[in-house]
Amino acid sequence: MSDSSTTETAEDEQPTTTTTTAGETVEEVQDEWIEYDFDGPAKFSATDLNVWYGDDHALHDITIDIPENSVTALIGPSGCGKSTFLRCLNRMNDRIKAARVEGSVELDGEEIYQEGVDLVELRKRVGQVFQSPNPFPKSIRDNIAYGPRKHGDINTGLLARLLGGDDREREEELVERCLRGAALWEEVSDRLDDNALGLSGGQQQRLCIARALAVDPEVILMDEPASALDPIATSKIEDLVEDLAEEYTVVIVTHNMQQAARISDQTAVFLTGGHLVEYGDTDQIFENPQSQRVEDYITGKFG
Amino acid sequence: MNTDASRNDLVKRGNSTLGVAAVLLAAGALLGALLGALALFEAFAVTDAVAGLSIARWFGVLLAGLGVALLGVGATSRAGLVRSEPDRTAGPVAGVAFSLVGLVIGGLLASQTLGFGTLWPIGALIVGAVALLLTVYPRGDLGATLPSGLLSLFTGIVVATGVIAPGWSWSPIPGSFTLPGDIAVPLLAIVVGFLVAWMAARAYGGFGTQGKQASAYLLVSASAAGMLALLVVLVSYIVVRGWAPMTEGVKWGLFWANWTYFYVPPIHRYVVIDGPVLWFHWPFVMNGHALLNDVNGIMPAIVGTVWLVLGAIVFAVPLGVGAAVFLTEYAGQSRFTQLVEVSTNGLWSTPSIVYGLFGWAFLVPRLGNGFSILSGQLVLGFMLLPLVIITSREALTSVPNAYRDASAALGVGKWETIKSVVLPAAMPGVTTGIILGIGRIAGETAPILLVAAGSPFPSDAPNVLTSFQLSATPPFVTNDALLQATSALPYQLYAVITAGVNKNAGLAWGTALVLLLVVLSFYAIGIASRIYFRKRLEA
Repeated sequence: MSDSSTTETAEDEQPTTTTTTAGETVEEVQDEWIEYDFDGPAKFSATDLNVWYGDDHALHDITIDIPENSVTALIGPSGCGKSTFLRCLNRMNDRIKAARVEGSVELDGEEIYQEGVDLVELRKRVGQVFQSPNPFPKSIRDNIAYGPRKHGDINTGLLARLLGGDDREREEELVERCLRGAALWEEVSDRLDDNALGLSGGQQQRLCIARALAVDPEVILMDEPASALDPIATSKIEDLVEDLAEEYTVVIVTHNMQQAARISDQTAVFLTGGHLVEYGDTDQIFENPQSQRVEDYITGKFG
Repeated sequence: MNTDASRNDLVKRGNSTLGVAAVLLAAGALLGALLGALALFEAFAVTDAVAGLSIARWFGVLLAGLGVALLGVGATSRAGLVRSEPDRTAGPVAGVAFSLVGLVIGGLLASQTLGFGTLWPIGALIVGAVALLLTVYPRGDLGATLPSGLLSLFTGIVVATGVIAPGWSWSPIPGSFTLPGDIAVPLLAIVVGFLVAWMAARAYGGFGTQGKQASAYLLVSASAAGMLALLVVLVSYIVVRGWAPMTEGVKWGLFWANWTYFYVPPIHRYVVIDGPVLWFHWPFVMNGHALLNDVNGIMPAIVGTVWLVLGAIVFAVPLGVGAAVFLTEYAGQSRFTQLVEVSTNGLWSTPSIVYGLFGWAFLVPRLGNGFSILSGQLVLGFMLLPLVIITSREALTSVPNAYRDASAALGVGKWETIKSVVLPAAMPGVTTGIILGIGRIAGETAPILLVAAGSPFPSDAPNVLTSFQLSATPPFVTNDALLQATSALPYQLYAVITAGVNKNAGLAWGTALVLLLVVLSFYAIGIASRIYFRKRLEA
């Protein structure tokens, strides 16, 4: 059994340095992968990101670059901060009163934690799919058209109809495109006006993905999107995620290491206490992890 | 372990003799209680004779028979002749219940029959203690049946022998309270019948845990049935008395008129019709109060109530829902919201006469300097407001946060989210609050009396709809009818009753029935809209 002890350094009174049995510190390991090189530009780059919930220090000095048009998996045990990190990327943490974020996150080189950031625009570019399916209690069509309607991209209101600016045809196209994008069109094309709550759990989750696609995002964040679903629905979501990566940048949090290994291009491992311990190509992380703790976690000895 | 005597059979087959006897016993006891209730509500007179014996005495015979049967059931169970699973004791609840009954009977016997005078507590305590002992000390089956059986037998004998008979009366406080025999007998039948049924239910379950289960079921279902029965009695009382005055003079028919005209009061016009006419005349709800009327009606009061309630809704609902949205969605948990919450609850429990007084002192002098519909609408609106806020807040907080998160993650702003997702999801709850509130304000008398009441029996209804007038100067829209006093159904009812004229009782009952119908139709609208809003949310 490995002993994963944590020692605190007196330098800045923050438990940022973790020692593993192999004697390597997090800093040393980071030296290995902080240079993690990928082709193409970085979509997100976080630097020294810290998050507190009240007095609870949930994320410690996260520094990570996430490449464009690929699937990045965030794995780790419960409470390791992977969901917190995900919510930093579209500033959904702002909705939690006790949360405090320090550090920097850049989206396409632009800082999202600065004065004057338009959260509406940010969240239009960075969509999110939640852990349990949460379609609105509206029709399938209304669910998908909700975002574009609210942003004024599509107008089907009474006034628009009277003035002749009715976008109903465009809405039809959009609904079909998004449902096809979420691999749901075949199943629901004949009942677009039915309430979305009548769909099965897996269908609801794909509807939520379609709803996120409708506002034309660049990034889709997924917070354990398959954890509430059965194996068949899960495999559909996984196929979908791989397809989505051709057009979108996908960041997915998962408990399920097999899932991460199956669908992701690169994997970041968070371990207890809110530390990012290792980050690299998924194949490399699962076959040849640099850190003993990560190897223990992946082989199921710990975590 | 199998030798353990208290171990019961795992599988029980067939109906035990005990079960059958207990069901018959409980049915007889409940029948006695039901007949007692019917007699109490004057469905029949206890003095009537059936088969040569007055009904009062038949009650006595029934109770005595029930008592004997219950004692028999208990005795056969104690003797082990039937299969039962009694506890060691009948339990403290039954003990307390029967010792209280014993206290009452002992006290009455000591003071009224034996003439103990001021020493009556001695008799009360002795009988109470005996009842307690009889219930708690013997084994469960005997403890449950002995006191109730003896009580039923004793009461039955007392009633059957005519000691307590319709002619009998008892005045514990001479001159102010008298209990006549024709009320005492049905009351005894109800109380004793329920006690016997309670214990028969225990016998049905074999006196043990199962027995307590069965008796608890009997008690709670009897509470529910009693509640329902009370409602039915209340409503049917009003319907029976109000139906005849309400429907007096109703005429209707289909006519082919090739040139017929009739007067339509609300628009003061004669309408000419050439064709089929469905003619319908319902004087009680279509007439006002006038000398030449065939039947004097209450149309002005109906219209007054409808306007008062509608005005209160128009005033209170947007304000209340808006306040609830602010408190729930914008203001987080803070001292301020707590203060608002406490004061909202306080406002809701404020007596209506206080609202009325405020309206009388504050609104009436400022709105046309006289009693007016407008003042009434505002005061009723003040009363409706806290309930709308309370129920809307509850409905809004019960909307899942997942909806808000999903909307925010799509980049939709807070107000748009509230408008398009949160409020529609909360609408069924909000509507429920409004329905409850209408039930309260439509029947309010006190505030109307103080701020809106005019003549209780006017000849014409307030013409609110046709009195709107536009003007070039502020306030641009005026409505004289809103500034006039009005009658309203509860106010008219109050006026009829306090007038003390007995021949008008029909008018009062008819008004009450119409008030009930008006409130019910507001309910129907509310419930229909709640169903509509819920349908939109459901799959």
